[in-house]
Amino acid sequence: MNLQLLLTGISLGAVYSFIAIGMVLIYRAVGIVNFAQGDFLMLGGFVYYTLIQMALFSAWISLLITTLVVGVSGIVFQFVCYWPLRNAQDKAIVVSTLGASIFMREGAKLIWGATPRATKPLVAGTAKIGTAVLQWQYLIIIAIAIVVIAGIYIMLEKTQLGSIMQATAQNQYAASLMGIPVGTAIAVTFFLSMLVTGLSGALLSPVYFVTNTMGGSSGVKAFAAIVIGGFGSIPGAIIGGVFIGLVEVFGGAYISTTYKDTIVFLVLVVSLLIRPKGIFGEKTAEKS
Amino acid sequence: MKKNIPNLYVISTTNQATHTGGGFLTRQIKGLGRSSAITSALLMLVAMLAPLAVSHYFIRVLCLTIITYMCVLSLYVLFGMCGQSSFMQCGLWGVGAYITALLTTRLHVPPIIAMLGSMAGTGLFAFLIGLVLFRLKRYYYAFSTIGMMMVLNGLFLNWTAGTGGALGISDIPPFGIGPFQVRSGMANYYLILAFATGATVMVWMLYRSSLGRSFMAIRDNETAANCMGINSLITKDIAFALSGILCGAAGALFSFLSGYISSTSFILSTSQLYLVIIMLGGTSSPAGALVGSLIITLLPEWFRPLKDYMMLMYGMGIMGLMIVLPEGLIGGGKDLYDKFRSRRR
Repeated sequence: MNLQLLLTGISLGAVYSFIAIGMVLIYRAVGIVNFAQGDFLMLGGFVYYTLIQMALFSAWISLLITTLVVGVSGIVFQFVCYWPLRNAQDKAIVVSTLGASIFMREGAKLIWGATPRATKPLVAGTAKIGTAVLQWQYLIIIAIAIVVIAGIYIMLEKTQLGSIMQATAQNQYAASLMGIPVGTAIAVTFFLSMLVTGLSGALLSPVYFVTNTMGGSSGVKAFAAIVIGGFGSIPGAIIGGVFIGLVEVFGGAYISTTYKDTIVFLVLVVSLLIRPKGIFGEKTAEKS
Repeated sequence: MKKNIPNLYVISTTNQATHTGGGFLTRQIKGLGRSSAITSALLMLVAMLAPLAVSHYFIRVLCLTIITYMCVLSLYVLFGMCGQSSFMQCGLWGVGAYITALLTTRLHVPPIIAMLGSMAGTGLFAFLIGLVLFRLKRYYYAFSTIGMMMVLNGLFLNWTAGTGGALGISDIPPFGIGPFQVRSGMANYYLILAFATGATVMVWMLYRSSLGRSFMAIRDNETAANCMGINSLITKDIAFALSGILCGAAGALFSFLSGYISSTSFILSTSQLYLVIIMLGGTSSPAGALVGSLIITLLPEWFRPLKDYMMLMYGMGIMGLMIVLPEGLIGGGKDLYDKFRSRRR
């Protein structure tokens, strides 16, 4: 087993997991799939890039500001794209998020241009682990991923806010009868979801270029992660994301570089056929 | 939480001669009497005369608009009638285009046979893929179509021996039967218009046939449809194959029109755009597909000075329209339909 590829795959997978967690949080809360999630990754990358260019803050503080800014943009997104449509059919909301995706992609192109941008890593240089030589950024991504995932778990399972969010996700009407402000709970969910996604965009920006279309491919891979992990399950999103990252890196290294994306989606289709409900599937797997 | 309106199923699958039915679809079927016939005839007349009044460039834009319309029409069969969303219509369109391109450039098959080959090949491809994908439902199915779209795009882009890879396939001959060649933009326009009209008529016939009714039964309530003796797996797969045939025809026309195809035309975002178009227009009739395609492809031409901001406004427009008219333009205009009917009586 090649340690270098393994760590690269896990850190890339952690980024997909972040997007997937964001999508799953929204899916659990309001029952829709957000097609603009990948574009919040892009937004995170660009906001981080701008802050680094301004050079007012250190890289770590820029990272913190970026996550907060993208989180707040998630609340705005919620009020524009979801809230007016909450009583409409699912497909209307899905199309509305597709519209938001186009809007964000084109808006980013107008603001930041179409040329790929690179940012500087949080810690420069490379680390040596055994035979593997790896940029520090990859290891930082893995470390932050562990911290954030633990944080989300504690927040959802151990705090009152988490109970409120879970109650809203299970039954909005019953939650409102219990005195839970459902609108606020949903807004908080969107905030958290975009916060995680924006963070992953900022973390990814030093190792991959930031472009206005980066949300497309990463977003679709996050879909794959959700489906492989099990729809609506947060552990599933994490495992699925890491799995997709590993498939992409190892497939690219050992099978074919040009076909690495094709391999990822073939794995998705095959895994759907073998186990449609995913690794941690919800109880009602819809397979005819 | 949010489901399709359940009683559509009952009404849309009952006998169309029932005059007491109150559902939107029933009314629409009956409404396709005089007023719709006149509207269609007028539309046809405008479509026939349009190329005489506009520039060469605009004729080409119109050609691409009608090809887009055919792809969206295929989505209407699958999504509007059968309720199965698909993110791989653009991939099927690409399959059709590549089949025609390969048959004409490598095997030097006559264009008309290449076109038939495209339709049959894409339909068969869709049927086989559908047999696999329709084992899944709802989101799982939708995501598997995204996966297939990415796989197809990967093949178009990377399989150099088969699809020409990133270079694409060039020098595709124009459409023609024997010595008669369709070369000019205007001739191409009428060719494409003829195919699109034929496709629309076929889809309307399908809509009123028992097969179309079983599609709609599945859309409205799959379990109930199964109970009524409809084999939902095969029926959905037939819908998918029919949409594949439509996409294959559109792809062949695109190959003949442009003479050059490459993988950059057949991407996921175009598939998403088709879904946006049909939702904008409304999923209840082919008219929705037509209105949506016209708006989405022609607006940028009219607002050319705003080109940089056009896509941005698209995004905002889509969000805004979904908020104001979640049923789409045609669906939202159903009150207007009612008014027409009451005036005629």
